[in-house]
Amino acid sequence: MRTYVGNWVYAAALAASLAVMGSVQAKEPPVRIGFSMAQTGMLAQATPSQLNTYMLWKDVVNARGGLDIGGGKRRPIEFVHYDDQSRPDEAVRIYEKLITDDKVDLLLAPWGTPFHIAVAPVLEKYKFPMVGNTAASVAVRRMKPGYIWFTTSAIPDKIGPALTAMATSNGVKSVAVINNVLPYTKELKTFLMPALKAAHVEVKVDEEYPPDIKDMTSLLTRIVQAKPDAVLALAYPSDSVLYAKQARELNVQAGFQFVAIGPSDVPFRKAIGDAANGIVTIGHWVPTRPEWKGAKEFYDRYVKRYHVEPDFLNSDLAWMSCQILEQAVAKVGLDKAKIRDTIAHDTFDTINGKVKFDGVQNIITPTAFLQIQHGKLQLVWPKSIATSQFEPKKGW
Amino acid sequence: MTLLDILLSGQLLFSALLLGSLYALVALGLNLVYGTMRLLNVAHGDFVMVGAYAAYGLLTLLGWSPLWAAGLVAVICALAGLCIYELLFRSLLSAQSSVTRIESNSLLLFFGLSVIVQNTMALSVTATPRGYQYLDEIYRLGGVAMTGNRLAALVVALVACGAVGLFLRFNVFGLALRAVIERPDAARVVGVNIELVHRVSFCIGFATAGIAGVLVSMMQEFSPFIGFPFTISAFIVVILGGLGNIFGGFIAAFLLGALETYGVALTSPNLSSVLLYGVFVMALVLFPQGLVAHRATR
Repeated sequence: MRTYVGNWVYAAALAASLAVMGSVQAKEPPVRIGFSMAQTGMLAQATPSQLNTYMLWKDVVNARGGLDIGGGKRRPIEFVHYDDQSRPDEAVRIYEKLITDDKVDLLLAPWGTPFHIAVAPVLEKYKFPMVGNTAASVAVRRMKPGYIWFTTSAIPDKIGPALTAMATSNGVKSVAVINNVLPYTKELKTFLMPALKAAHVEVKVDEEYPPDIKDMTSLLTRIVQAKPDAVLALAYPSDSVLYAKQARELNVQAGFQFVAIGPSDVPFRKAIGDAANGIVTIGHWVPTRPEWKGAKEFYDRYVKRYHVEPDFLNSDLAWMSCQILEQAVAKVGLDKAKIRDTIAHDTFDTINGKVKFDGVQNIITPTAFLQIQHGKLQLVWPKSIATSQFEPKKGW
Repeated sequence: MTLLDILLSGQLLFSALLLGSLYALVALGLNLVYGTMRLLNVAHGDFVMVGAYAAYGLLTLLGWSPLWAAGLVAVICALAGLCIYELLFRSLLSAQSSVTRIESNSLLLFFGLSVIVQNTMALSVTATPRGYQYLDEIYRLGGVAMTGNRLAALVVALVACGAVGLFLRFNVFGLALRAVIERPDAARVVGVNIELVHRVSFCIGFATAGIAGVLVSMMQEFSPFIGFPFTISAFIVVILGGLGNIFGGFIAAFLLGALETYGVALTSPNLSSVLLYGVFVMALVLFPQGLVAHRATR
C-alpha cells in the first residue's frame, strides 16, 4: 500500500515538474524582429506584397516551433513594426527607436530604395545588420558595405544591357522608349539608351511623361505611327495599367512589349485580363523551377493564405531576405557581429536559388525577365534559368 | 504628326472630350460646395476614390455592373456628404462667420478629413491597387478607336453634368441654389431656405464625386491615394472657370482637357504640367475673376 501511494506521489511530482518545464519552454521569450513599412501615404499601395510575405514567414517559422537561434534552440518570432507613412525620414526615426528603445533582436527591411538608403546610416551607427530586399538602384552600390545587403539583381545598370540583349536576340531593330520620370525608371533609361545605341538599335520614339499622367493617347499615337519593333515602357504600376489599356485601344502592334514595373503583380493582370499576355517585365523568380527549393511551397502557402499570387518580384525578394536572415541566425545565433560576418561571407539557399554577397550586392542571381504567357508569368531570359521561350506579342 | 494631323485627329478629340467631361464632373461638386458655402473642399478627390472603391466592392461582392451601381454609389456619397455637413460645417456656417474664416477653417477641416479618409481606406481594404475589366470591347468609328468603358464614361459624365446644368437652369430649387451662389444675401431676403440649399449642395457635390469615381474605376487602376491629383485638377478648373461659377467651370474643364491632350501632342508629355500651370497663371493674370466672369461676389 505504501509503495502504491509512493508511486502515485512520484508520478504526480514528475507530472508537475514536466508541466513546469513545459510552461518554462512555452514562456521562452520571443525573438523580436522590427521593421517599418509604408501602410499609409502615397507609397502604401506598393507595400502589401512585402508585408504579406513577412507575416507569412513569421507564421511559418512559428508553426515550426520558432526561429532556430542555434544550438538546437527555437524561440517564437514577434514582430515590432510601425507605419513610416511613406516618409524615409520617419523610417529613420523608427529604425532608431526599434534598436534603442524597443531593443529588437533583428531587423527586416522597409519597402523601397529611398527607405533602404535612408536607414543604412542607422544600421552602420548601431552596427546592426539588415538584409535588404525591395531596393534596386546603382546608388546602393555606392553605400559602405557592412550592415546592409541587397538581394535583387534588377539593378538598372544590369537591366539596360540585359534588356537590349534580349530584344536584339528576338529580332528587334527599332524601339520606342517611354518612361515615367520617377527615379527608378529614369535611372533605368540612363543605362538603357547607351546599350541600345551600342547595339545599333534605332530609337524611333523617346518620350518622358509625368507620374500623374491620365491619358496616353498623344504618346501612343506617335508610337503607332513610328511602327517600332519594340515598345519599352519604363512605367510604374499605375501607369503600367494605363499604358496597357490604351495601347490595346490604339492597337499598338509591336511584337516585343516591355513594361517595367507592375506586370509581376496580380492587380495588373486583373485589370488587363488576357490582353496582358505577351508583356515582358522585370523579375528573376518563378515558383516552378525545381532546383529552387521551397519556391513552390512558398507560392502555395501565399496563395492559400491571401487568395492571390505573390508578387513575382517583391514577394520573392522579401522571402529571400527572411531566409538569409533565418539561416544566418541558425548558424551563429543572435550575436549581431557574427550575423554580419555570416551574411557577408556565406552562401545561402533561397527560393530564388543560391545567394552570395560581394559588398552589398547579390552576385549569383542573374538579371532576368518574365513574360506573361496564357495568364501566367514565365521566366524567358536568360536562357540558363528560362522556364519558357519568349513569344512575340500577337495583338491585344 | 503635322499640326493639321493633330488638330483633325478624331482619336485626340475623343481623348480631349473624355478628359474634359471627367474634369467637369469632378469640378462640379467642388464648385457647388464652394459657390454656395465658400467651403474649400480639399478632400473632394478622396470621395472620387471612395466612389471607385464602392463600385469595385459592388461589382466583386454583389456582381453589380458599375454603370448600374453608379446610382447607389451616388446615394452613398450624397449621404456621406450630408453627414459631413451636419457634423462639421453646419455650426461653422450658422455662426455667420466671415468668408475668410469659413474658407480657412474649411480648408483645415477638409485637409484632416482627407487624411482620415485615405488612411482609413488603406487600413481597411489595404493599399493594394485595384482594377477590373468592364466594357472592354473596342469600338471603331471611322479612324477612332474607343474602348467601351471610356465611351461609357464620356456619355455618363456628359449626362451627369448636363442633368445638373439643367437642374440649375430650369428647376425652381436649382434657381434658388444659383441665387445663393450669386446673391446669397438677396436669396436670404426673398425667403430661400439657405440651410436646405447647403444640404442639397453637399449631397450633389459628393454624389457627383462618387459618380466620377465609378467612371475612373472602370478605366484605370486605383488605390486609396488617387484623390489628390483629382482635387488639384478640380481646383484648377474651378479657379479658371471662376469660383462658384458652375457653367464657367464646364467651359474651363473642356479647355483643360483640350490643353492636356493637344498640348502634349504638339510638345511632349513631360511638358504637360508646364503647359497646364503656364496657361493657368496666364489666365489668372489676364482674367482674375476666371475665364467666364462672375457677376457677383459675396
